[in-house]
Amino acid sequence: MGLVSWLFVLPFATAIAVILTPAGMPKMVKKIALAGTSLHLALTAFVTYKFVQVAAFSGDAVKDALITHLYLVEKVPWFESLGIQYFVGLDGISMFMVILTSIVIFTGVLASWTVTERPKEFFALLLILVSGVFGVFVSFDLFLFFLFYEVAVLPMYLLIGIWGTGPKEYSAMKLTMMLMASSALILVGFLALYQGSGKETFDLIEISKVHFPIVFQNWVFPVIFIGFGVIGALYPFHTWSPDGHSSAPTAVSMLHAGVLMKLGGYGALRIGLYLLPEGAQNWALFFMGLTTINIIYGAFAAIKQKDLKFFTAYSSVSHCGFVLFGIVTLNMIGVKGAVIQMFSHGIMTALFFGLIGMVYGRTKTRIVTDMGGLAKVMPWLAVCFYIAGLASLGLPGLAGFIAESHIFLGGFVGNQWADATTMRILTVIATMSIVVTAVYVLRGLANVFQGPLKEQFKTLTDATLTEKISTGILVVTLAIVGMAPWYFIDLIEAAVYPMINRLGLTASNWMVF
Amino acid sequence: MNALAPEIIVAVTGFVVLLADLFLAEKRKHILGPLALVGLVVGGVAVFNLMPQTVEALGGRFVFNPVAGWFKLLFILAGAFTAIFCWQSRAKEKLESDGEFYSVMLFTLVGMMFLISATDLITLYISLELATIPLFALAAWKKGDPLSGEAGLKYVIFGALASGLLLYGLGLLYGLAGSADLQTIRETITASPALWLAAGIITAGIGFKITMVPFHMWAADVYQGAPTTVTAYLSVASKSAGIAFMFQMFFGIFGAQLSEWGWLIAGLATVTMTLGNLVAIVQNNIKRFMAFSAISQAGYIILGFLGPFSESVPSMLYYLFIYVFTNMAVFGVIIYYNDTTGKENIDDYKGLSRTNPVIALVMMLGLFSLAGIPPLSGFVGKFFLFNIAAKAGYHWLVAVAALNSTISLYYYLRIVRQMYMEPPTADAKSLSMSKALAFTFLILTIGVTLFGVIPGIYETINAQTSGWLSALQLFP
Repeated sequence: MGLVSWLFVLPFATAIAVILTPAGMPKMVKKIALAGTSLHLALTAFVTYKFVQVAAFSGDAVKDALITHLYLVEKVPWFESLGIQYFVGLDGISMFMVILTSIVIFTGVLASWTVTERPKEFFALLLILVSGVFGVFVSFDLFLFFLFYEVAVLPMYLLIGIWGTGPKEYSAMKLTMMLMASSALILVGFLALYQGSGKETFDLIEISKVHFPIVFQNWVFPVIFIGFGVIGALYPFHTWSPDGHSSAPTAVSMLHAGVLMKLGGYGALRIGLYLLPEGAQNWALFFMGLTTINIIYGAFAAIKQKDLKFFTAYSSVSHCGFVLFGIVTLNMIGVKGAVIQMFSHGIMTALFFGLIGMVYGRTKTRIVTDMGGLAKVMPWLAVCFYIAGLASLGLPGLAGFIAESHIFLGGFVGNQWADATTMRILTVIATMSIVVTAVYVLRGLANVFQGPLKEQFKTLTDATLTEKISTGILVVTLAIVGMAPWYFIDLIEAAVYPMINRLGLTASNWMVF
Repeated sequence: MNALAPEIIVAVTGFVVLLADLFLAEKRKHILGPLALVGLVVGGVAVFNLMPQTVEALGGRFVFNPVAGWFKLLFILAGAFTAIFCWQSRAKEKLESDGEFYSVMLFTLVGMMFLISATDLITLYISLELATIPLFALAAWKKGDPLSGEAGLKYVIFGALASGLLLYGLGLLYGLAGSADLQTIRETITASPALWLAAGIITAGIGFKITMVPFHMWAADVYQGAPTTVTAYLSVASKSAGIAFMFQMFFGIFGAQLSEWGWLIAGLATVTMTLGNLVAIVQNNIKRFMAFSAISQAGYIILGFLGPFSESVPSMLYYLFIYVFTNMAVFGVIIYYNDTTGKENIDDYKGLSRTNPVIALVMMLGLFSLAGIPPLSGFVGKFFLFNIAAKAGYHWLVAVAALNSTISLYYYLRIVRQMYMEPPTADAKSLSMSKALAFTFLILTIGVTLFGVIPGIYETINAQTSGWLSALQLFP
């Protein structure tokens, strides 16, 4: 088994180890989970090192590429007669997403150190979920991709339903139903691509060599884009997200907002934009309109929220809107921005939800107006919270700025298929959301951490060591991406080229394959 | 080997069990179960030995071919699991008439195995009756239980109606072609109103057998009233036999006409899965619940009749093969739980994950596999069937079917919720399980979790049947 397979086998093996732990040893379970995820972090670092060694980031061949070039590929036939294979590999975008996921699951395990109810099942499900996520990011066979996608989605039902808070069963069911219905759309799209390509293979790279007829692209692209858009919180299909996030336990919110919602953007990019460029051209403006609503609506809805988790959930809707917005700008800088936004939002929201869990664990309330002056008793948490907040409103020096500036530039640069004026107007509207974000973030933080400290909170303590480690890692990551983005941009640029280059192809160009 | 060997072995086992039941002392009758099981295993080995050749018997009235062989394996598997559950069951009705139960079940199996090998209308019809009539008795097996009696009676009435319809349809076909031989009929019939009538009536008759909407009305009551072992058998073996009959009719006779009837099949599949799924949501009795679940599963299987059949038949066989394991895993838990606690409502599964975590896990995996959640086998089976619909150009139907899977997940999750999220009731306790049953559950769980991931099974089915199917050249 190759390196890339280990990326999802390791969490799964850890899950099995957790299940096999004898009953009545909750400490042991947590240690195994932590050991597994630490090991995974090391593995990811090693894979990244290997990847950077073999991958070519510059040169004309990279700039003119039309087909995604994969590294560290493993390819084994599976259901041969149907053209299904076990096909995993990495390109820059997958690598970037794997790094994100590995960081988030590690900090998520640390943040769940306080879970006391049925810890075995909790950590096992969490790890199974995350192995599904890793699987999606590394698989380049549509069948395998879909298989991992659903593995990543379903454990959420149990995780929220059993360990959640508030109307957890309702939220869990709503989330599961909406995401499963969206995966039905994805399935329709995948089977259409398989049958439409006429190649008798689910191999994504092989299918990408086929020029699909315009009519076909025009109906399959929206099916795929909306299918993935649901999990990417595309307006008006985002409604599962606030309910789900607010009911979920801390680590699950972290993973869900941090990583799982990225599957939407990733799929829309990898399958939608890459395989169906002409469909994307025709639908770009429509989806740009929807995602603009996403961005603005999410930001305004966040202002109204009193519960910290709802607040972050709506802010996530707004920020995930940026991801999809960046994708449909259909140009290099916008799509790059979308990918960086996936990463930066992933880290940022994981930090947010982790911190909310920690604060809630102390104050037993998540209502903003019930708190106040908490910075006096928990300075570490307050500082981290501020950093996350500033990242989310796009302060230069943090990851959010890099991402959003790319996306807005992309929206302004425009493309040759959509009306430039409309695009610019939409971009201006979307940019306004930064102001709204500043309003809700700063006001919310001020309410929670500043002002007079309430009597009942005076005895509360600051972050424990595990909490400091988990929040510290996330803050540092935000700062690294914010201050030295070129390493990461190099990483993804080479992978974005083929996606953008395909957009300009005319029918005769397709003959080269 | 003789093409009839598997049927002979199963039939002989039936008689041996019946005789042994007569002469064995009461306290030694527990060996009847293993006896039936051994017969079935030997029968299965005989089928394996014949694969993948095509052998004729009875002057060509009976043909063993790879597709028939796989169907026979399915029937035998379903029978074997039923036999194990019955053998391990401690239910009252089982203790009274053990031997008869096995032999009656084995005779229905012989009927099913004949059915898929028959090459003329008369053999076909007689084997169908052999497969059906003993089932009426099985449904009413709980003597003195009014629900079981009602189940038996309903089954007889609807079954008789279905048989009557089929007989009428087959009669029309005979009239149109002037021959009872399936191949001759296929070659002589041409599109005509009479053929439409015959096909419609036959489809309705088959609809009863495989619980296709709108011919499903009997299923809920029969599934609920019949002893749970019989319900399991009905939902798997009897349904597969119905599909086998449909295969004989649609591919064996209508062949060339089939492509024009795509819209009809698509429509029937749509209403079957949608209605089955929607009605399942409101059920409280788990056996009724599984009845509607089985109805919706029939809807998915019909999708296979849309495609070019050299590809769709392997997919259907694979789906049924997985369905045997999945449904038997779920029914195994239902039977076991009903036996040990006497409960059969969905609410009764409260907190099962706390008191009996392994049973709850088997149940959850089975339900998720039925809903088609990867990487469980049910997902792969469904994926291949949906692929057939997509291949035939019915993309909207793929959407309908996939959305239906989502609906079905909703109600399967209801049980999972009871098992995993509700606290156990005060009287719930940890239940013990015999080694044989635990081993059976292990096999079923392997089937549910691994048969989809291991490509060998599908590839074997495909390699053995698709060649034979394309050689038939039913579509000119």
